[in-house]
Amino acid sequence: MSDEMEGYRQQPGKLPFAKPGSGGSKQFSELRDMTMIPQSEGGEKSQPRGPHGHDELITGSIIGRRTPLIDSNWKVTGQAKYGDDIRLQGEIIGKILRSPHHHARIRSIDYSKAEALPGVLAIATGKEYVARFGVLPVTKDEHALAVDKVRHIGDLVACVAAIDEDTALEALRLIDVDYEILEAVHNISKGLDDADDPIHDRGPYHIGKSNIQKRVYQEFGRVSEVKNAEASSLKKWKFAGVNHGFTEPHAVVANWDPRGRLTVYTPQQVPHYLHRSLADVLEIPMHQINVFRTFVGGGFGGKSDPFPHEMCAAILARKTGRPVRITFDREEVFWTNRGRHPSLLEMNIHADDEGRISGIETDALIDGGGFASFGHVTTYYNGVLHTAPYELGSFHYTGARVWTNKPASGAMRGHGAVNSRCAVECALDEISEQLSVDPISFRLANLLPPESTTITGFRITSIGMRECLERVKKESGWDEKFRKLPLGHGIGIGCGFFISGSGLPIHWDPNKFPHATVHLKIDMDGGVTIHTGAADIGQGSDTVVAQSVAEVLGLPMEMIRVRSKESDTSPVDLGSYSSRVTFMNANAAISAAMDIRQQLLDATEEITGVEAKNLVIGDRRIYNKRDPAAGISYLEALHKAQEEKGALIASGAYRTPPMGKTHKGAAAGLAPAYSFSAYVAEVKVDPETGQTKVIEAWAAHDCGKALNPLAVEGQIIGSCHMGMGQVISEEMVYGRTGNLQNPNLLDYKIPSVHEMPKVTPIIVESNDPEGPFGAKEAGEGPLLPILPAVCNAVYDAIGIRANELPITPDKMHTRIMKKCKSLGIDDPLDLPNPSLEYSDLQAKLEKRAKDHSDRDLARKLDSDRKPYMNGALFGLQEDIAPEEQCDDWVISVTPTEEYMQNPRLAGSAWRHVEARHKGDAQ
Amino acid sequence: MVGKEHASMLPKASTRQWVADVNGVECSVLTNNNAVLLDLLRDQAGCLGVKRGCDMGTCGCCAVLVDGKPRLSCLTLAAEVEGSKITTVEGLADGTHLHPIQSMFAECGGSQCGFCTPGFLVVISALLEENNSPNDSEIKNAIEGNLCRCTGYQQIVESVHAAADILSSGKELADLTTAKADPHPGLGELE
Repeated sequence: MSDEMEGYRQQPGKLPFAKPGSGGSKQFSELRDMTMIPQSEGGEKSQPRGPHGHDELITGSIIGRRTPLIDSNWKVTGQAKYGDDIRLQGEIIGKILRSPHHHARIRSIDYSKAEALPGVLAIATGKEYVARFGVLPVTKDEHALAVDKVRHIGDLVACVAAIDEDTALEALRLIDVDYEILEAVHNISKGLDDADDPIHDRGPYHIGKSNIQKRVYQEFGRVSEVKNAEASSLKKWKFAGVNHGFTEPHAVVANWDPRGRLTVYTPQQVPHYLHRSLADVLEIPMHQINVFRTFVGGGFGGKSDPFPHEMCAAILARKTGRPVRITFDREEVFWTNRGRHPSLLEMNIHADDEGRISGIETDALIDGGGFASFGHVTTYYNGVLHTAPYELGSFHYTGARVWTNKPASGAMRGHGAVNSRCAVECALDEISEQLSVDPISFRLANLLPPESTTITGFRITSIGMRECLERVKKESGWDEKFRKLPLGHGIGIGCGFFISGSGLPIHWDPNKFPHATVHLKIDMDGGVTIHTGAADIGQGSDTVVAQSVAEVLGLPMEMIRVRSKESDTSPVDLGSYSSRVTFMNANAAISAAMDIRQQLLDATEEITGVEAKNLVIGDRRIYNKRDPAAGISYLEALHKAQEEKGALIASGAYRTPPMGKTHKGAAAGLAPAYSFSAYVAEVKVDPETGQTKVIEAWAAHDCGKALNPLAVEGQIIGSCHMGMGQVISEEMVYGRTGNLQNPNLLDYKIPSVHEMPKVTPIIVESNDPEGPFGAKEAGEGPLLPILPAVCNAVYDAIGIRANELPITPDKMHTRIMKKCKSLGIDDPLDLPNPSLEYSDLQAKLEKRAKDHSDRDLARKLDSDRKPYMNGALFGLQEDIAPEEQCDDWVISVTPTEEYMQNPRLAGSAWRHVEARHKGDAQ
Repeated sequence: MVGKEHASMLPKASTRQWVADVNGVECSVLTNNNAVLLDLLRDQAGCLGVKRGCDMGTCGCCAVLVDGKPRLSCLTLAAEVEGSKITTVEGLADGTHLHPIQSMFAECGGSQCGFCTPGFLVVISALLEENNSPNDSEIKNAIEGNLCRCTGYQQIVESVHAAADILSSGKELADLTTAKADPHPGLGELE
């Protein structure tokens, strides 16, 4: 038998290596843990969804185990360096002069007095650097410093570099700016009107003379069917803007090295887009810039734009030849904002007599503040991200984003989907009540199956929605509690659906660059260096990429090191947004690790003579799977593989497959996989004071496969905290004159430990066919369901449906008093408690849910399944696109004349004519 | 800094030689009489582990121990605590042995982005010093002044329980130098 090792260790000049294990801190390798290896590979781990593409790479050592973040020792010892902790030799301090006006034209800036102040080294204004930038290439509307006018209080006017902070602040005081004050727009609805001096002039793309930045119209399905609805929920919502509230204020250090290259140290979620913008603004090639991502003290979307202050630091450093550090105070963080859009939403949902959702009509007007930021996408997401997980008869969405004179809104955890999801789930609760059925049964009877297509053409692969609903129902004791708790005590359900990576990269181009690339390098020490550009913002992306590589190569985590900070050494990764990192970056890492693995197996084959296909990798050991005693250590294989070429290197990349329909805007919301979640919240509402307290939450999230359950649970609980904050207390308060009244963490009410309920995180694993080891996202989706779950629980408690967030005690009290008055009740403790008497439909829905459950299971296990298009629930043939088999199935992205006769609020944006080929192009 | 209403920061305040015990070592620096402890610790004493989150006492990121009691360094004048024993997050580990709460924060997910972590750690270490088996409400009362946006506090509370278990059982923690990974040391390879 050729399995015996021959010769290798006896060759002259070869060092003898310890045979078992080798490398790592433990001397001997451990046995493969069969409970972590899937059944399809001969292990004992059950596979609810059948085999998965990466199953054969699972060594059972790392993936799926609770793994502390690999950088946590830096964090707990205070050695982690965040933006403001970068201290370079000879650094000076930069400060920014901000606008005191909402909207004003800058007539002149006189900084001669400031310049004369001893210790002031440089001053810059918007005159010198006029190139526009912005995170989306289609909406570049920001400058490093205001060029001609300021667009909100806190907009950047000038910046100063001085030897210390005191001198820089004094210099700001000495700058005289002559403003011509312009009329400001604060009210969202006013943004739809024509204005004499619109906040931006976008030249050829301007929509009338209004402040409308983006408008969307989408119509799908049998829209006329909604007229015959059995139950309808019609509601107008108002959502306050909220801020990310990350604990680390923005900070940046810029330095031009003696060879004239720029390094920018910044806590960025998306270093690559900053890289591009810096090149645009400074007019230098990208290869002359090194973007160094420091540790990021919380992002949540708030550090994903390229920011003007990052340009300012680079400009000041260029002028002075010294490193410049700019650090924000908390107020400046609020002026920079990019938080969730304040929104006015109209949500109408209809169900037919069979308990099917015959139509969703959404109208969303969102307040973008002074700049476009991610707003183009947000406008789409407010609609398209509620086309699943339910099968819909029709979908009608009108959305518009307007510029107003407020700090810009942007992307925030659950980007664009949060507010409209809240409205959808509350409406479904109301519809279930009208139909006298259980809201969980109603949802279970309306779910899309796995491997299906939504009404707007999204490709659903794995879907664990059903299991999420069933698990939270069981764990929360739903049947004993729902509509059975006393007045002031209630329970509610909410679901969520979110993208796991955006199918279209922000900077798409005809060359089709990959979304994520990972480089691996292994030299003779045996440790693996991972080079990746993925930005770890605390979510643990470095840990996940290390876990993925360690799993494939059968190595302990201590042999993996991640270098993810510098653009000089990291391959491009598009950044930490749209919940893309685990899905895309780990896929790239796996493909690089597979390459290395093959090299190791080939080397082992050469030594042992066992064919590579018969070899398995264990803990630092490669051996014959039929005779585990016959094998060699990892280091022996590695050194053999290195003989001809030195260090092993490999590159792996990930790009999304082609997907989706072709209508305008079809790419928005398109993702290689989607996450699902269902939460139940239990609340207490004091009928006399209107105070709401969330006392417990059960949170089931389908993340495909939990690569690191510790981190997934952390994301789920953290999402509950952030989402609950938006429901009960958080709000950016703009006063009557448009002033932001609470730009600090005292008046901006983030829940403390005392407000936090007990959260029971429930991980549901649907094993996605394309995800890394089956994984999908877990960072943003878990936020969505907590809002409606709390709102629905509040209704169960006190019979009042929220239509405005946050539901602070004062608002709640007013509603309670109003209800008491209308019912002629003196004491709010006598308010009627909502109750439920099932109708005949309940049994039908339960039967349908049971049938669908069997259908879903069959589809999961059938590798030769037929396509399933949204519409089959309404009697259409499931494997043919509905528009091809049904004459009245509409697909339209422009409003009809009939609609324009009586448009809804955001829909009225289409009254303006787009001024193509007019005005001055940028 | 919106507008120009703020008072002039110049001319400079008078200075003093400030001396205190910072993490077990005598620290003596020339500083302004009006210097804030947070600025002094970060800019002059080299304790960059002490974080500035809000500068107005609302987030707890800047908490340090002054003679064993938690204190917000952003609201403390350096002159007030002259001659005291000041402990920052850098001073929690005993040589190469992490404090149990540091270890358990890593183990139980008490730290995600890590920016609020130094504040939590010093506050909790003071709690554990007084009470090595705190219950949920004692823990919550201790950390009510600390803001964490990532974890939702649940895993922090779990970390405290885990650390309390170690302290009350007298179990030894592994030496840091024998342990774990080298993922990417902060700013190891600067330039």
